Amino acid sequence: MRRADLVFDRPEDLFARTPPEKRGRGRDDVRLLVTLPDGHRHARFEDLPRFLRPGDLLVVNESAAIPASLPVEGRMGDILLNLCTRFRSDLWVAEPRWSPGKPGPMPVRPGDELHVGAARIRLLSEYPGLPRLWFALADRPFESIAAEVGGPIHYGYTDAWPMEVYQTEFSRVPGSAEMPSAARPITPRIKGLLEEAGVGFASILLHTGVSSLEIEGETVEGEAMYPEPFSVPRETAEAVNRTHARGGRVIAVGTTVVRAVESAWAPEGVLPRSGFSRLQVNPDRGVHAVDGLLTGFHDPVTSHLALLSAFLGIDGVRSAYTEAIREGYLWHEFGDSHLVIQ
Amino acid sequence: MPTSNERTPHSSPDPEKVALITGASRGLGKVLATFLAGQGYALVVTARGKAELAKAVDEIRGDGPPIVSIPGDVSDPGHRARLLRASEDWGRLDFLVNNASDLGESPLPPLVRARREDLLRVYEVNTLAPLALVQEALPLLIRSHGLVVNITSDAALGGYPGWGVYGASKAALDLVSKTLAAELKETGVGVVSVDPGDMRTKMHQDAYPGQDISDRPLPQVTLPFWAWLLSQPPIAVSGGRYQAQAAVWEVPA
Repeated sequence: MRRADLVFDRPEDLFARTPPEKRGRGRDDVRLLVTLPDGHRHARFEDLPRFLRPGDLLVVNESAAIPASLPVEGRMGDILLNLCTRFRSDLWVAEPRWSPGKPGPMPVRPGDELHVGAARIRLLSEYPGLPRLWFALADRPFESIAAEVGGPIHYGYTDAWPMEVYQTEFSRVPGSAEMPSAARPITPRIKGLLEEAGVGFASILLHTGVSSLEIEGETVEGEAMYPEPFSVPRETAEAVNRTHARGGRVIAVGTTVVRAVESAWAPEGVLPRSGFSRLQVNPDRGVHAVDGLLTGFHDPVTSHLALLSAFLGIDGVRSAYTEAIREGYLWHEFGDSHLVIQ
Repeated sequence: MPTSNERTPHSSPDPEKVALITGASRGLGKVLATFLAGQGYALVVTARGKAELAKAVDEIRGDGPPIVSIPGDVSDPGHRARLLRASEDWGRLDFLVNNASDLGESPLPPLVRARREDLLRVYEVNTLAPLALVQEALPLLIRSHGLVVNITSDAALGGYPGWGVYGASKAALDLVSKTLAAELKETGVGVVSVDPGDMRTKMHQDAYPGQDISDRPLPQVTLPFWAWLLSQPPIAVSGGRYQAQAAVWEVPA
């Protein structure tokens, strides 16, 4: 798959800058674009149960976002260090950047020291193949630094909102650098409607890192990916296999769930598995264990878009996104939802 | 005798973590040594080439922890004893990396023409020396609940023409790792095999003399794997055979 296949234009006025609940509406008061094999449907999020069947399984991510954006001080003045992936409490992969809206590249070198309060952080070495990310070592747990001074990672198009805005109905285990946002509109009310409709729930854990990576090379497949800690528990592996055996469909709530479940897939079925994964799901690899995806609208030229193409093919993604842009769907974590069923 | 160690072990407080890396003068060993030094590991490093090792140590050493470098051949028992004495001086060994490997003849000969002395040499370095180092370092490893990493290769599984001598020695090493893992389970010492994958290193070039290998990644490509492996409790990963460039690194159930 070529990089050029993932390039498209979408107007900036389609960026969702404010969570719906801060616009005086319900969290679930967002639109839902449904892409089925025979075309697109326009709906509200509360219509979700209409597009699912009794016996379908929704798989959600239990990871909760942490205040991963740290204001730090270094040779180049006051900058941000956005935590990405935890290896140990004192060793993370992190992204130094000028500000929420200004990524870099930063003039940092191995051995550079950053300070935040009394804590000292040393940048060890560049992440191979992803030079905007660095291995960072702290003289105390990063979690305690984050708890003291961290805020939510956010980018130029939104403000930093209170942390509860970044949690979902399913957030249980802190660890994600950014919110796994697909489940945001699944409020208790929607969850009740889904359960009434005979839809089951299962969960995985995947602590997601900083935003979907912009593909820089000519082809998507050769792109470096950073690993993410994940766990697919036995009950979930069994629920997925049982759903398939009974003819039901497994719908991933978010791209993180696709990555976790596909990382646990083997030809004989989904297995209980945990570790680190940097599996890139793209059309070449395809999807094996998941039949559909509930997600948001993603930026051009990103690995998320390559993942979506694994479900829809690149033409399918183009068709869906042309429709979404024409109909004014909102992009990003506070925006509208997209249900894709193969 | 230790050469070019700026600080003798006793001139500084005992380090919290000690790693011993063989084949540390270039390629994967040097990249890993640099990464560990950055994280505060005190290092014992070795390789056969004295000058090249000294140069590597100059590059590895930052302002950080002490490094003892001892040039020599890991198949020499006297040399191994010197390496272990350096670790003993620090009272611990958290991470033993058997990375030094002998490819055998270059270009790689078909197995039917392999010479006995070449086979013996490759097994000495690739299979017997790593096992001997584990045997000799065992008390230190037990005391530290350490992790042993034996560097292996897909040639151990492949049956690739020309890779028979090297591949068989690594296949034997894989079984050594797996068996040690089972035998040492109760001691808290972990043993894993790690296949770093194809990399742009001198050894890889020796295997393909005259060929362009610039499409292979530099050994830095394995750093995320090392960061992950070293963050796991040794016993949790023990017995595993890992591919450093794989998409998934799994903790055995």
